Amino acid sequence: MKFGRNLYAIVTGIVLCCLIIGGLSEWQDSGAEEGWRFVFFMQRWGPVALVCYIAAAVGVIWLGWCWIKLAGTITSMARHLRQDKSAHIKPDRNVVINDLSEAINERIESYVHYIAQLEKQVKDLQIQIQLSQRRGKNTEAIIYSIRDAVIVVDEFDKLLMANEAAGRLFNFDFAGSRHKPIGELVEPGKSEFVDILRHSRQSKARATRKEIEFLKACPEQPVVSEVEPSRRDAEPKTYNCIISCVYDQDQQVCGTVAVLHDITREKQIQQMKNDFVSHVSHELKTPLASITAYSEMLADGEANDEQRMKEFCSVIQSQAKRLNRLIEDILNISRIESGLIKVEKKPISLTILIEEQLQMIKSAASEKNIEIIRQKPIVFDQVYADKDMISQVIVNLLSNAVKYTSAGGKVMIETEVDETANLVRVSVTDSGVGIPEDEIERVFDKFYRIGANKKQAKGTGLGLNLVKQIVEKVHDGRVFVTSKVGVGSTFGFELPLATPEAVKA
Amino acid sequence: MTSKRVLVVDDEIHIVHIVAIKLRNNGYDVVTAGNGAEAFKIACEEKPDIIVTDYQMPLMSGLELVEKLRGSEAMRDIPVILLTARNFAIEDKQKEDLGISQCISKPFSPKELLENIEDILYQRELVGHSAELGRSLDS
Repeated sequence: MKFGRNLYAIVTGIVLCCLIIGGLSEWQDSGAEEGWRFVFFMQRWGPVALVCYIAAAVGVIWLGWCWIKLAGTITSMARHLRQDKSAHIKPDRNVVINDLSEAINERIESYVHYIAQLEKQVKDLQIQIQLSQRRGKNTEAIIYSIRDAVIVVDEFDKLLMANEAAGRLFNFDFAGSRHKPIGELVEPGKSEFVDILRHSRQSKARATRKEIEFLKACPEQPVVSEVEPSRRDAEPKTYNCIISCVYDQDQQVCGTVAVLHDITREKQIQQMKNDFVSHVSHELKTPLASITAYSEMLADGEANDEQRMKEFCSVIQSQAKRLNRLIEDILNISRIESGLIKVEKKPISLTILIEEQLQMIKSAASEKNIEIIRQKPIVFDQVYADKDMISQVIVNLLSNAVKYTSAGGKVMIETEVDETANLVRVSVTDSGVGIPEDEIERVFDKFYRIGANKKQAKGTGLGLNLVKQIVEKVHDGRVFVTSKVGVGSTFGFELPLATPEAVKA
Repeated sequence: MTSKRVLVVDDEIHIVHIVAIKLRNNGYDVVTAGNGAEAFKIACEEKPDIIVTDYQMPLMSGLELVEKLRGSEAMRDIPVILLTARNFAIEDKQKEDLGISQCISKPFSPKELLENIEDILYQRELVGHSAELGRSLDS
């Protein structure tokens, strides 16, 4: 600013000098007469003109100085503001400048406040963005970890999100399928799902629930395959499909979420339960039918002689016992499962027990002309067990062997002591129909009956389950089975040998 | 007058026995079988007037037996009473299609079974008589 002032002083001086020199040279050029006239004029009016002139010059100089000072102040204010945007301008003696600086200061203050607010908002937004990103990742992780298949599509049925289970179910990779129409991603065999999804969106229903059956593709098969569907889609699976619409602020459907829960096992259990009820009701009604018929005949006097009356009574008794046994079986399984059964363990000899049970099965075996081959005697085969329960195990295994062995076949019961493992092994081998390899693992399941053998004999599907429960759950033993279709089966169990202390006690 | 022949089929020996006693006491000729396959063989030989069969039996069920009978020219018209411990096992349409005269749920009353047999045989006799009458009128 100093340079400006100096320049102004120099320029003003030069202008004044130029004016004086110009005036004097004009006077010299105009001649003596006009010069004298000017001098005369100046003698009369000179002091006044000089004063006016000086006053004008001082005024101009002062105005110029003020202007330069104002410009300097404004430049300095601009520089100051440029250097520090939030800095306030110092008050000035100049009223105009002071007003201006106050106005600018006020504006600066409001801007500073506004900027502070904006900065706070930006920070809040950044935090919210981070939080929503984290929430988004968490939601994605949750959806990914769900075992049920989850698919999210937009209002145009384009894929927005799908978890691993959905990818496996529909044979697509989510990373490469985002924003693709769901109809293109789902195999033609599973298009029912796409139809339901579309229908739910169109109907704007809050939630739609439907059971869908898919023929699940074998995992070893490629996604796009030329293999026949019948070979590829071996295992039918049932899914409970729940589709919910997603609404925007205007209550318009902006997408749909589908959750597919595999209920194949539940369906199987349900089917098994239905089969069980059906079997059990049949099994219960059969002896009940005999009891009802024989008692009615007795009451109606159809038994002509005493011998026939005795025969009728005996049948009623045996059928009542049979009914009771069946009910006991059902109750025992239930009690063992709930841990409410009363167990009376004591040292017992399996050989003696088998001997007793063989007597019970003899008549059924002789009816079918089945030869029962007995074990060789064993000196010490005592186990610490509940006599009634183990008897039940032996009876169930023997009666099953007889039931599924054709007339004229053989059933062999063996006992062996494994001293190294400190256990007794009982095995019942028959020359019956055998069990298919794919069903052998399920023979001990409750209510399960071998498909091919259902016609061979009646049963509830409880006998072998009871054997397993008694041996494994109550006696810490182990059951086993080996079988070959058309050759026969071996069912058996192992129990720990009783300790000499237990025997003595 | 020759007595009517009834084939009683059930794998429950006690049921077969008691039904046979009831029917024999009431003048019927009774033949028995333990399963569907055996029953079909006996039916071919004995030509029963009516068959009383259990529904669930090993080797061949009562329903399979009826289907087989309906496929045979000679035994197509033999009336069948089905004894069943499962009330819901047979639909009405299936019963009608197979020409099952009556379904009786277990446990059953031998007296009612006898009444049913008598009714069915009487109706058939009436139908037979009217057909015979019609033929004689025509000639």
